[in-house]
Amino acid sequence: MRNEPAGHQLVAPISRRGLLRSTLGGAVGAAVAGRSVSAADAVKPPRKLLLLFLSGGASQLETFDPKPDSKYGGPFRPIATAIPGIQVGELLPHTARILDRLAVIRSVNTGETSHFRGHYLLQSGRKVPGYPVLGSVMAQLLERPGDELPGYVTMRRQNPQAYTDVGDAGFLGPRYEGVMIIDGKPPANIRRPESVDVAAVTTRDRIRRLTNKRFLERRSPRSIQSYTESYQKADALMRRREVFDLEQESAADRARYGDHHFGRNCLLARRLLEAGVHCVKVAHHDWDAHFENFHWQRQRCLEFDRTFVTLMDDFRDRGLLDETLVVIMGEMGRTPRINYYGGRDHWGDAWSMAFAGCGIKPGVVLGKTNELGTEVTDGAVDAGDLFHTILAAMGLDAKGNHQVGGRDNPIGDPASSVIQEVLA
Amino acid sequence: MEISSLAPSTTQQCRVLVAALLLVGAVPHAGQAGTPFPEQIDRIIDAAHLRDGVRPAGVADDAEFLRRVYLDLAGVVPTAVQADAFCGDSAEGKRRRLVDRLLAAPTFSLQMSRVFDAMLVERRVATIKSYDFKPAEWQDWLATAFRGNMSWDRLAAAMLQSDGTSDTEAAAARFYLVRDVEPHLLARDIGRLFLGRDLQCAQCHDDPRIKTYRQADYYGLYAFVSRLKHFRDDKKKLNFVTEKANGDVSFTSAFSGAMGETNPRLPGGEMIADPPVAKGKEYSVKPEKGQMGIPTYSRRLQLAQRLPRKQTTGFSRNIANRLWALMLGRGLVHPLDMHHPDNPPSHPELLKSLTERFEQTGFDIRGLLREIALTRAYQRSSRLPDEVDPKRPPDPSEFAVAALRPLTAEQMGWSVLQVTGRLPSRIERFDRKLREAADKQKTGNTPEKAEETDTQKAGNSERRPDDRNWQAHRQAYRELARELSSLLTVFSRLPGQPDNGFQPSVDQALFLLNSEQMVKFTKDFPLLDRLTKLADQPDELATRLYLSVLSRRPAVEERQEVARLLEGTENRDQRREVIRRITWGLLVSAEFRLNH
Repeated sequence: MRNEPAGHQLVAPISRRGLLRSTLGGAVGAAVAGRSVSAADAVKPPRKLLLLFLSGGASQLETFDPKPDSKYGGPFRPIATAIPGIQVGELLPHTARILDRLAVIRSVNTGETSHFRGHYLLQSGRKVPGYPVLGSVMAQLLERPGDELPGYVTMRRQNPQAYTDVGDAGFLGPRYEGVMIIDGKPPANIRRPESVDVAAVTTRDRIRRLTNKRFLERRSPRSIQSYTESYQKADALMRRREVFDLEQESAADRARYGDHHFGRNCLLARRLLEAGVHCVKVAHHDWDAHFENFHWQRQRCLEFDRTFVTLMDDFRDRGLLDETLVVIMGEMGRTPRINYYGGRDHWGDAWSMAFAGCGIKPGVVLGKTNELGTEVTDGAVDAGDLFHTILAAMGLDAKGNHQVGGRDNPIGDPASSVIQEVLA
Repeated sequence: MEISSLAPSTTQQCRVLVAALLLVGAVPHAGQAGTPFPEQIDRIIDAAHLRDGVRPAGVADDAEFLRRVYLDLAGVVPTAVQADAFCGDSAEGKRRRLVDRLLAAPTFSLQMSRVFDAMLVERRVATIKSYDFKPAEWQDWLATAFRGNMSWDRLAAAMLQSDGTSDTEAAAARFYLVRDVEPHLLARDIGRLFLGRDLQCAQCHDDPRIKTYRQADYYGLYAFVSRLKHFRDDKKKLNFVTEKANGDVSFTSAFSGAMGETNPRLPGGEMIADPPVAKGKEYSVKPEKGQMGIPTYSRRLQLAQRLPRKQTTGFSRNIANRLWALMLGRGLVHPLDMHHPDNPPSHPELLKSLTERFEQTGFDIRGLLREIALTRAYQRSSRLPDEVDPKRPPDPSEFAVAALRPLTAEQMGWSVLQVTGRLPSRIERFDRKLREAADKQKTGNTPEKAEETDTQKAGNSERRPDDRNWQAHRQAYRELARELSSLLTVFSRLPGQPDNGFQPSVDQALFLLNSEQMVKFTKDFPLLDRLTKLADQPDELATRLYLSVLSRRPAVEERQEVARLLEGTENRDQRREVIRRITWGLLVSAEFRLNH
């Protein structure tokens, strides 16, 4: 158990590597201040977002909001955590040890019990369709002129199909669509085909440039700027394709993060965030336990707990946590009532999520549910509030507007607001 | 007045005339007797230029006009032969004749089916576990409708009416089905796509930004479709649109908590009360397991009857504005689904006369596109005049210079197949097959019998080559569509989103540079064979190549570059490889990527 308040991390000495990198990041940031970031902010390293999405819906009762003495409590016992007086489920022993570095919300009420709509709702903060998800919002708001890598990378598996890809860049358009890593594979077409040799590429590029130059006679230079940029970015991505290659990481790190989808993807997320990607989403699959809930929650927690704490320690040691917001959430929680098959079903009325990293007040546990866990009794928040809060922790204002295609679109739902209690 | 022959002095005279009219306060009024409609359009735009001190671009040259009008009305760039023929034609009136030819060609119906598919389906994919109508059937329905020049009110009514059971218009139900028959989605998209009003925010509260978008308006539309649901017929393996006989709509503001109730109502219109229906008589076909219910009174049919009429606020105006945007790259009202008093049209008088013209001609889409294609505004160059600083181009809402528009995914894909020669040769092959089949049938008949048939079908005989041409096109496009699927995926905009202009993405660049599909497209193609034979005539080769890919002749330095690249080659294979690389280089240029 750690004695010092987690807030001290912000001023704690960071590793040499972390220092070097953040200094560089600062210099780049200052040179190319983005439009959504004020000049003062630009001097600081830009913030990053890591979204750990518990796909299918984790059970709040087996994780952050145990109800040991209720008829719905299930077989697992609660354990003490680094926050005095606060317990979590025994399936999260490692997380319990560092809970004082987290802000936990136990009073999420979204009312949504569809996977599809839940995925969209929690990532966009909206019920009505067409809005961009968090990753795309970050890609747009944090975009800087010198960016080489995509702003948003999202990871999932191919089969069985999971519901993580509903929603996307919405009205922000394809430029801010997440680059997809499926089953750990790098994005499509990132490598020059063998049948095309270097001489062919040279001729092709020469003709392209020559034609573009002629095309710009008596036309606005801005008219094809984004087109030529897309080729520069393609070049950069091809040149830097090793950022998608986990083999570049040490065997020790790969072992520490865990030899499973989630572990590998979390390590890849570290690699990408360090390389300059603004937002990474990692889906952790198979929480949808309609049958044998207790078996499945244990299975899932086993993977999640160890990897998550490895990541937290690692990010701290590298100085990455000072500038990275880590969000743990899914599209819903699970019913307090245990069904005939020993499962818990879809549930949106009273469930939990957690934050860590930049912009967050660590050690806070917000909200309460009743004894059975069937209702929020204090501090209810909805998906719109979570969206506003995530943006606030990132130093961004969700009350602002996206300006796209000649119209203003509020970034966050105007009817929702920031949850001040969990913010630093 | 023929535009290609319009001398600068004539343009100048027009401006002077407009200026004079402005001075005496007699603004030329649309509908002025005797003035051709395209000229009426131009007068309004010219007057605005004079007022705003904007210097418009000159007339597009033949090559520029040709490529643009092909892309807009045929959906592909012209072939080198077509480009050569048009640019070499010196007869008067050739632009008008080309427009008319393109509007009558099979490619027009096919192009419109893609344009309206993109506009109405917006790349959505149904998520209901279902048997949807195949996109191909729907596009086929649209293409057939455009071939018969179906009017917009009839098209709209067909879509809003179809429940998927009709023999001829079943596919029109795709408008509902692709949206999972989800009432909120339907209400929003009917508002946006048919009335030009995006009431999305009004779903949860009165729109705080747009005073005229009331929550009650949203729910008035919603009430027309709130009783709809999809019905799955497992035997037929299809989904249908079914409707309940009851269900009322009430709503609460997320801001004020105020509540309301509503019956169906079009924005600005009267509420439509349900007629009394005797108890037990609610359904003409009772909904049962495996049996789709049909209510005695259908709100959906009310919608189909009442919405597509000129009396409905925004109905004609929305489509007139969309057709203008289709040709000019920007709506008079922009964005297209934001018609409201705080966002007035750039040229109110022009939108009014386009709308009236469209209504007077019975919602004739082809007719309105023709008038627009014949305007000077459409036929302007996308290059700025010398006096204008390219860094400070005029505002797009002035229509003073032709817009640079990205090719749609379909224009891009089909144009790649056109320039490489695969599309024309496939059409030709089908045409030959159909002709041979027809000839065979003819020779099989006795001479007298054949004569008899011909006389009997005198009325149809003229149309038969046209039918064959249509069939050949349809089959060629259908067959080649498979090869385009990966390209279409990469270049399509996102589902359910309007087009936000030119937004080239990295994955598109990566696709064009590295994908297996592009390797395949550029490996062997008819154009490559033809050009390789010209390797000892580099000038001629360069001309054919640039005409094929960019629909224009190469500039001097481009011809030199081609010659230089060919110089170092020693054999046929090497020359072939060089031509392949140049072709690929042209395909990834901004000039190819844009409709300019």
